[in-house]
Amino acid sequence: MDWAGWALFGLVATAALTAVMIMAQLAGLTRLDLPLLLGTIVTEDPDRARVAGFFLHLVIGQGFALGYALSFSLLDRATWWLGGLLGLLHVAVSLTIFVPLLAGVHPRMASHRAGRSSTAVLEPPGLGGLNYGGQTPVVTIAAHLTYGIALGVLLQVH
Amino acid sequence: MRQPFPTAGERARPIEDYGLLGDTRTAALAASNGAIDWLCVPRFDGQPVFGRLIGGPAAGTFRMGPTGAATVIARRYRPHTATLETTWDTPGGRLTLTEGMIADVTGWLLPSTLLVRRLTAAEGPVDAVIEFDPRLGEHHTSPRIEHRGDVVVCSWSTTALALRASPPLHLDAGRAVTVRVMPDRPVTLALSVADREPLIYVDPDAAWVALEADEHGWQAWCADIDGDLPHRDAVARSLLTLRLLTYSPSGAPVAAPTTSLPEDPGGIRNWDYRYAWPRDASIGIGAFLGVGKHAEARHFLAWLLHASRLDRPRLPVLLTLHGRHPTAERELDGWPGYADSRPVRVGNGAADQHQLDGYGWVLDAAWLLTRAGHRLDAETWRAMRGFADQVAKRWRHPDAGIWEIRGDGAHHVHSKLMAWLALDRALRIASTRRTPARQVAGWQAERDAIAADITAAGFNPELGSYTRSYGSNDLDAAVLVLPLLDLEPRDSPRVRATIEAVRHQLSAGGPLLYRYPPGRDGLPGTEGAFLPCSFWLVQALATTGRVDEATRLFDDLLDLVNPLGLLPEEINPTTHGYLGNYPQALTHAALVQAALAIRDARNDRFSPGPDEIPVREPDSYERTSPS
Repeated sequence: MDWAGWALFGLVATAALTAVMIMAQLAGLTRLDLPLLLGTIVTEDPDRARVAGFFLHLVIGQGFALGYALSFSLLDRATWWLGGLLGLLHVAVSLTIFVPLLAGVHPRMASHRAGRSSTAVLEPPGLGGLNYGGQTPVVTIAAHLTYGIALGVLLQVH
Repeated sequence: MRQPFPTAGERARPIEDYGLLGDTRTAALAASNGAIDWLCVPRFDGQPVFGRLIGGPAAGTFRMGPTGAATVIARRYRPHTATLETTWDTPGGRLTLTEGMIADVTGWLLPSTLLVRRLTAAEGPVDAVIEFDPRLGEHHTSPRIEHRGDVVVCSWSTTALALRASPPLHLDAGRAVTVRVMPDRPVTLALSVADREPLIYVDPDAAWVALEADEHGWQAWCADIDGDLPHRDAVARSLLTLRLLTYSPSGAPVAAPTTSLPEDPGGIRNWDYRYAWPRDASIGIGAFLGVGKHAEARHFLAWLLHASRLDRPRLPVLLTLHGRHPTAERELDGWPGYADSRPVRVGNGAADQHQLDGYGWVLDAAWLLTRAGHRLDAETWRAMRGFADQVAKRWRHPDAGIWEIRGDGAHHVHSKLMAWLALDRALRIASTRRTPARQVAGWQAERDAIAADITAAGFNPELGSYTRSYGSNDLDAAVLVLPLLDLEPRDSPRVRATIEAVRHQLSAGGPLLYRYPPGRDGLPGTEGAFLPCSFWLVQALATTGRVDEATRLFDDLLDLVNPLGLLPEEINPTTHGYLGNYPQALTHAALVQAALAIRDARNDRFSPGPDEIPVREPDSYERTSPS
């Protein structure tokens, strides 16, 4: 297990994933804003939430990178395509399981059952994040492919 | 109120005969004969399961009411709730139908859509009919019907309904059932809806308890409304209707829960309003802020920012409930339409238009929030600056205007007024926070240029009024916003003359106004009086100090409201029959704003300038946008 590689390249890959998501958002492809989504778990102030969410995202990205590094270690190799495959698996689970479940645990996210007294305020992302724009799944897949390939390449080189 | 019970052969019930049932996710329209003739699932913009209102008998209905001759003797909402009560006088005694939907289901094992209906008899047993005939969607698809114990389950591919009665009845879909309602034994039905999720069978008596609990929720919601409003009950009903028409999962304000209720019965002016207009959200912000409901106001702005994210800096004209572009407008083959008004349309072609006025509404709403002490977060202010820049760049272009005229654009005076408002409000907000000096200077220059343009080209000295568009001799009731803008002094001769000209030349009789000379929009047929314009006239009169006139006009308008307090977009000036999609959020928001204008005029408090912003600790939004 390459602990040093995990520690450094996990951050790099998460930063790359974040960059893809932010660029897609700025380009008008999606309304998904991961730092805001995560940050509003701890604060309702959007400005502070984005900062908090960015660091939370780094931590979460580091956690997932551990899974990638362990997988590479178990398979005894790290390649760009293996990273990409893991990225696809990662995004498939995220879009079909994690993202739709978010509405059930996020304290400030509404669900499709929200009603008059709902104090939850973020729109639920829906299956595949489609409520945040039709291109959201495509953007998310691209971002996770970037993440997986980056880890595959960097851990291989390392 | 006594109305003859309609016969089976009656073709179209008056639109005003319908009451609204809702849960802030979808809504049903219930007629005074006990028929639910419109319900889309699982959302306002979903597919109808009961569509008789515009789809004819083949489109399905759900009726509970007396079997024979009966007279409606009372119809009302239970005070400050969304629960509807209809009472008939029948030969056997009195029969009351109490019905509603559950708005708050979070935390309970209840379906997202739960309709509860209870028949109660008094003075003797009454025979009642239950006709449950659901059909799904465009092709009125019949369901697969199963009886699971005492539950009738109707299912299509991903949608299913479960109907259950207490006491248990042998109900069937597509077949009318007669039941005898005894005075001491009400008959309660619970209809559960599932879409892409398991059905939840709800015990009807437990559903009734849930409905009563939900009523308390609505009463508490209404109790928060300021108490010093003229005609507070009518205003509260309008606010409650606005809340019912707000899609809670995203915060989108749906313009109306219906499609293709005609502006011109028998004509082609039939549009799909099951979408959200940023303009309506902005007007709603003012309405909710004015009555002390700040959370609702902030939610509307948050929806607006979130939903418009993909189009910025352009402001979309309308969006789906989840902020997507509507599907292309199309006509439904084989749908007879309400009172033979065809085509029945789904989708809305106005989505692709350029409408300049929307920016003004949005920036004014942002200013109202700022003035009320709500800090705009950095992302919100960035979006608002982008909108202001867009106005500065595009105000010289023709647009489709607030009335969404199809065809070539024009230089609409109202659009230019709202462009001026957009930049003026951006400048006011900018004065409260750090903004690049170059950007501010640009807005100032363009705002002044718009003012010069409007005053030179928008005013017709021969008519003595601002007009509909540059060079036109037509008037436009939308310019009644003029005294609210501070473009000219409120007591200036031009402002007063414009109000008078609109009031007299666009009069549709009594308190009613046409929005522009009828039929002058390139479409065949004509239309009714446009109700929001009359409420804008109330606002204009109150704002210019004519409070007594404004109050009388407001009273006259309230006389036209149906006993349930619901309003459509338009009204027939002769018969006072309702026209257009119903109930209409814009009309109800305009009613609230008219009441606020009267209150403020009486209290002599009108929009303070930037120097008069109340000092308040900034807070953040309860609803934040993931954009």
